[in-house]
Amino acid sequence: MKRAATLLGLVLVLGLSLVAAGCGGDDDDETTGDTTAATTGDDGGAAADCAGSIGIMAPITGDAASIGEEQLNFTKFAVSEYNEENGTSFALVEGDTQLDPAQASTVAQRFVSDDEILAVVGPAGSQEVSAVGPIFTREDLGFISGSATATDLTNGDFPTFHRVVPNDAAQGPTIGEFIAGELDAQTVFIVDDQTSYSTGLADSATESLEGEDVTVERESVSQDQSDFSALVSNVADADVVFLPWQLANKAQVFAQQLQEQGSDAVVFGSDGLFSADFTQEGSYVSSFAPDITAIDSSAELVEGYEAEYGEFTSTFGPPMYAAAQAALAAISAACEEGEPTREAVAEQIGEADQQDSILGDAISFDDNGDVEGARFYIFRVLGGGEYEPADS
Amino acid sequence: MDGTFLLQQLVNGLTLGSVYALIALGYSLVYGILKLLNFAHGEVYMIGAFIGYFVLIGLGGPDALAVPVVVALTLMFLAAMLGAGLLGVLIERFAYRRLRNAPRIAPLITALGVSFFLQSTALLLFGARFRSYSTFEFLGGAVTVGGVRISATRILVVAAAFSLMVVLTLLVGRTTLGKAMRATAYDREAAAMMGIDVDRVIVATFLIGSALAGAAGVMFGLVFFSVFHLMGFAAGLKGFTAAVVGGIGSIPGAMLGGLLIGLAEAFSAAYISSTFQDLIVFLILIAVMLFRPTGLLGKADIRKV
Repeated sequence: MKRAATLLGLVLVLGLSLVAAGCGGDDDDETTGDTTAATTGDDGGAAADCAGSIGIMAPITGDAASIGEEQLNFTKFAVSEYNEENGTSFALVEGDTQLDPAQASTVAQRFVSDDEILAVVGPAGSQEVSAVGPIFTREDLGFISGSATATDLTNGDFPTFHRVVPNDAAQGPTIGEFIAGELDAQTVFIVDDQTSYSTGLADSATESLEGEDVTVERESVSQDQSDFSALVSNVADADVVFLPWQLANKAQVFAQQLQEQGSDAVVFGSDGLFSADFTQEGSYVSSFAPDITAIDSSAELVEGYEAEYGEFTSTFGPPMYAAAQAALAAISAACEEGEPTREAVAEQIGEADQQDSILGDAISFDDNGDVEGARFYIFRVLGGGEYEPADS
Repeated sequence: MDGTFLLQQLVNGLTLGSVYALIALGYSLVYGILKLLNFAHGEVYMIGAFIGYFVLIGLGGPDALAVPVVVALTLMFLAAMLGAGLLGVLIERFAYRRLRNAPRIAPLITALGVSFFLQSTALLLFGARFRSYSTFEFLGGAVTVGGVRISATRILVVAAAFSLMVVLTLLVGRTTLGKAMRATAYDREAAAMMGIDVDRVIVATFLIGSALAGAAGVMFGLVFFSVFHLMGFAAGLKGFTAAVVGGIGSIPGAMLGGLLIGLAEAFSAAYISSTFQDLIVFLILIAVMLFRPTGLLGKADIRKV
């Protein structure tokens, strides 16, 4: 009996601690300015003498590492491009959040105590923004996320928070209208992935769909699962299955298992699913950012990036490029008015006025920190993993 | 909720269950002999899945195979089992052997360390991206049996898993090595005194257990496609749970436990809610521990004082 009790205890304790270790754990890598050549040009004006760092918070390791890798690389690329163009020598400090709010707080503490850091790009997730918001607000440190879309982040609690992507107040209705209108669905099954991002989006899509008299059913599934075949049997009869998930590969398995069981339900994925890993023909995905490989004015940047870092597959990277650019421009602008302080930089971020960003549109922020004129994009998945715009 | 639906879930549960059972066997074999919970086992399974993946890609990928499908499958399984087996032996040699007479907590912590070491190594070597076997139409898609659609790969996986279990049962029950393994599990010192080379038996145990995990990795890849560096954690935990439910140290127990956990997951997702499927699996574990502390087929560990 005693042995069994010990074993049971072990299972529980190890289960918990391993889960915790999976989300927390190792120290953050700190690379100070590894990509940033310290070439202070002779011709540089006030901005060229300006020095300092930006911090990046991204899930560099952990479950979302494939996203984090691209976010980090695009930020590195943005810093080195900016330095080269302007003869500056800004450096980049890396902070690994593992998409975990607790981990993000630790990184945030480290960032605020590093006097070199004048602005931050990231973090990636909305939950993380909520966690680091109070810390950065207290220090007047400006931060720009390239992927946090939860609506309530820009309600005024975090005045130094900005984002270069639209918020979910737009995503739910955009998706709802598309499914009810363009796809003419009568029954929709929504499966959330048990994160607050996912349940929030599922709620807002449900509301929008029910407003259009569509029958909606809900389920949820943990992203630790790798087998969805039992769940798939339950959703097989729906016209459309909406998956507000962040891991494209899981959605691919889901879609393939749907097909395996002979269902012809159409899969509709949210922004995390725009990826080379999600290739189910005839599916749809929405995205907070456009496909920059299809934007002519960004072709040169895409080429430069791929030459250095290889191909990228999601839409998570390019917004970070835009965010880093806005942050660096703000520091330069603050420099022109004297020694840059965090407060001055945060103020300059709010004044951002970037024409022709990598995302195709101009970038400027409204009073809440939301980007002006942002919208969601809907894509249709063609055979062979190609995507085509499905909205007008 | 008709009969077809029930049958479909049975197939789903059996597939997942056979993968869990193979993982559970590795835990049980090693525990039976060393009284060691080898938490690096899930990572051995992950490496097995990657080896299978690279063999598949090396042969031209699932859609443009350079060799017949049967040959490709055989090569994938052989390479993964061999690679995973060797990895298991290396882990035993470098991480556990010197700790064999240390307090039991020491090798346990080491096992966790090895687990993280392998995870990070995989992250460095293979990157964080999910890889997909993409074996969806590998064996000619799905067949319909009594109104239930079953993909050919599922049938293959269940059949292969059961064959491996039969082979293992024969190996442990009918061969000299099996006899030596059973003797070592029963009493290591006495076995050594009878002239059994205990080191060799332990190495063989790690080789066999890890090879089974490697095979499980390939099976998982064939049916569920996606392999990535953290896949060993959840699978390892489920395999371990299966081993404990069945009675850790017991070979038929591990098989039964694995199938039970797989079926429980499928049925709770289908009939109750996928939200609670892990909850139900671990409730089963707790219930078994409360009413049958040694696991379903485990034997009580009688200690002489």
